[in-house]
Parts: sequence; structure tokens; C-alpha cells
Amino acid sequence: MSEKGKVVVVACAGMDKPLGSVTSASVFKVVEELRPQKVELVCIPPLLAGVSLHSELIMDLPVITVDGCAERCATKLIVKSGGKIRGRIFVPDSAKKHNLLPESASHLGPNGEKLAENIAEEIASVVDTLTKEI
Amino acid sequence: MTMAKWKVGIVSCSGEEIPEGTISRIATRLVLEKLRPDETVTICLPLFLAGGEGERTFAKLFPTITVDGCEKRCAKIGTEKYSGKPFATVVVTDVLKKCPNLTLKSRDELSTEEWEFAEKVAEEIAERVDEALRRQNEQLRSEKQ
Repeated sequence: MSEKGKVVVVACAGMDKPLGSVTSASVFKVVEELRPQKVELVCIPPLLAGVSLHSELIMDLPVITVDGCAERCATKLIVKSGGKIRGRIFVPDSAKKHNLLPESASHLGPNGEKLAENIAEEIASVVDTLTKEI
Repeated sequence: MTMAKWKVGIVSCSGEEIPEGTISRIATRLVLEKLRPDETVTICLPLFLAGGEGERTFAKLFPTITVDGCEKRCAKIGTEKYSGKPFATVVVTDVLKKCPNLTLKSRDELSTEEWEFAEKVAEEIAERVDEALRRQNEQLRSEKQ
């Protein structure tokens, strides 16, 4: 599949919050297990450091942002960088919806793992919708 | 009067794209939770870059150590851009050069060897934390004299 048939996923790294770790775990599941051929995972920091490949990807492809807390850094930084956000996942809302919380930032525990799986499915569903439109 | 205790801020790259980024985050967490829990705090890099005033002010007032997964050194560049020069930088790919037989593979589930490597990176970060605090104490002593 060419890059044109792909979607970019940008997730907050969330080092200081347990839901940030859930965010990272969920995007890894999408990229490595659920939709490896359809997704380009883009780190946030290189966008601000001006790495050109990353900037081109978010300008050329539809972007899904995954935010771990109310600061919504992934969304803010993609808007600031001029990317086209076509889908948004807000992890605290998903945690409420599924009534699941991780044990800690370094150890998700069974509930946190289950939450990451559920969020990965949500992201994959948005990926499928967007790739059908391309 | 109680003096505020010096803390060192650790700014880790998010590095979701590569296994070295996962090592950065796990090593940082090991320092925060096991090796130097009373001496360190983490600074969330995306929030820092998005304009988090608390994060930026902390990084201006306290020493920081940036932990980068790769040669792009985004954590170091971001910290320099918004707050000031970090006290030290640890780059995972540099530490990896000391382990020629190790190839990092996973971004998600680390192997035993990858965990051991993350612990090695964490120890390097902890050494820099100790240096930063030693430097702060020396500075305070010389200011008192």
C-alpha cells in the first residue's frame, strides 16, 4: 500500500500520567497488531524540532490524534503544525465509557491492558473509516 | 524555615516510532520510581512543547536531564528552545553502542535483554542526577561563604 492510502496516528506520550501510558500502549497495538499496513505512527517532538519527513506526513495524510489528558497536547500540536485532524480519541472519555483504569503509569495491570485494547479497537475503527474515504 | 528541596527534572523523548523511544520512557520511569524517587520529577515533553507554563518554569529554575531515544535529540532541542540548556543529555543510541550484541526489537513488550538494557540506561540517568545535585550543593555552599 502506498503512503497515500495511510493514516497518521499521533499520540501524547504522557510520561506523567497513567492514562498517558495507556495511550502509548493502545497506539502500539494498532501499529504492530491491528492495522500495521494502514498506519504511520508519528512522534510529537520531531514535529516541533522541524524534522521534515514528519511535517510532510501530517500535511499529506489524514491525522488521528490520541490524547491522554485534558491538556490535549497531541491535538494542540497538530493544529499548531498545520496538520489535518480527521479523527480524535480522548482517552479519559474512553476510560469512563469502559469503566476501566490502569494501576499506574509503569504497570497498567489487567484493567489498564484491557482499556488499551479497547482504545486500540476504537482507533482501528477510525482508521478503517478514513482509509475507505481516501 | 524549611528549604525547598532541589529536584532534577527528567525530560524523556516520547519516541513512539522506535524501540529506543520505549527504552527512554521505561528507563526514565525506573529512575523516577526506583532509583531516585525523592530527587527527580518528570516533565511531560508534549505538554512542555505545547506550552505548559508549569513545565517550562520548572525547567528554567531546576536542572534538567534530557533522555533521547535517537540522534534527532528532540527532548534536548525542545528543552533548549523553551527553557534553557539541560544539565546533561543521555542518548539511548549512544548507550547502545556499548552493547554491540544487543538489537532492540520491540516498542511494546520488552525482552529480558531489553529490560536489562533499560536498567543500564536508567543507571546512567541516575548518575547524571547525582552529578546535578552535587553541583547544586557546591553552588549553594559557595554562595553561603
